[in-house]
This record gives sequence, structure tokens and C-alpha cells, in this order.
Amino acid sequence: MSAVVKTVTPFTQRDLLLEALDELGVAYQEKGNAIMTERVDYYGAQCFIYEQGAYRFQHDSSANRQNYHWRKLNFKEWKTVSAFLGAVEKAYHQAYERLQQRLAEEERRRLEAERQRFVEQQKQAVIQRAKEQGYNVKETRKGNKIQLQLVRTTY
Amino acid sequence: MPEQRITVTIDDAGQITAKTAGFKGEACLDELQSLLEELGTLQEVKKTDEYYQQNAVTVKHQQKLGRT
Repeated sequence: MSAVVKTVTPFTQRDLLLEALDELGVAYQEKGNAIMTERVDYYGAQCFIYEQGAYRFQHDSSANRQNYHWRKLNFKEWKTVSAFLGAVEKAYHQAYERLQQRLAEEERRRLEAERQRFVEQQKQAVIQRAKEQGYNVKETRKGNKIQLQLVRTTY
Repeated sequence: MPEQRITVTIDDAGQITAKTAGFKGEACLDELQSLLEELGTLQEVKKTDEYYQQNAVTVKHQQKLGRT
């Protein structure tokens, strides 16, 4: 006999896990290092507990049976623990993608602001030196370029 | 009265191009050097036709944007 097993994506990011639960409409409560969900099995509320760098889902091991008698289960489409974790995992991945996009956008904006600061700095340095050297300065824009006309009358 | 003119163009990456007019002799190069000193690495100096007649010159500074 052979077997292939696959683990659930480690939920390492608290914010992403909470975003995923929000996305799925799962109510939860944070208690210390645990995120208590509204799924209640024989032993109580199922929860994500933060241990060794990731959130592990704690539940009654029998709760993966289709005919398990739940004390409270609001989501009929996720009758088993596996189905629930599969949905959380998918939402977690989507939250991670959104985070990546936000970070990429923030980085793009940061680089753009840095570029604009640099160009402004160059411009101000030229203007200051030109004035110190007795030039009249006129600034115009030509597309993306700044043009400075420095004019000085000699006697 | 004679007029000295420098046209400085700064592109969207901060690269500077400067063109002079109305200077005599090597004065235009000295003037550009003092104006653009430390604002970037000099990439090229192109003496224009006018340079040989009226001593005009165009220089191009290149400054790569980097993290500080």
C-alpha cells in the first residue's frame, strides 16, 4: 500500500488568518494565543492555536466524520474539519495575494516618491547655485522634463 | 548688453543636460563645472559648432537614482 499526504498551508500570519475567517464569515474571538471559532464540537469551540511559528487547528479528532454530531456548526457546506480547513486555506491564499499586491503597490509608490524627491533636489541645487552666480532663473516644463533657463547679463 | 545663457534640462530620472550660449573661450566649461559639480557623474561633453565660433558647449550629467 502506498499513500500520499498533504498538510494544510501553515497559517503563519495572524492578520491573514483573521482576514480569511472574515472573508468566510466565520465568527471568532481571540483569547491569548488562540483564535476561538464558532464551530463547537464535543470538546468545545474549535480554535487556531499559535505554536512554533504557525496556527494549528485544534479540534475533536472525530469531527472529520460526515455524520459527526456537532454541538454548533453554522456552515453546512463545511461539515468536516477537512472541508473547513480547505476553505480557510483558500481564503488565506487569497488574502496573501492581496497582501502581496498591496506591498507591491506601496513599494511602487515609495520608489516613485523617492524619484520625485531626487529630481526636485537636483532642480533646487541648480537653482540655488545659479542664483549665487548671478543668473536669473526661469523654470518651465516640457513633458516629463524640467527646463531651467539661466540668464545673466555681462558688462 | 551681452547675455550669457545656460539651458538646463532635468529629465524624470534626474539626468541633467546643460547647454551654454554667449560664453567666451573655455569659460563655458568652467561655468558648467561650478554649476553642476557634485550633481552627477559627467557622461559626455559635446562641443557644438557654436563652440568653435562663439564658445558654446553642451554637457550631460548622469545621476542614477539610488537608495540612500
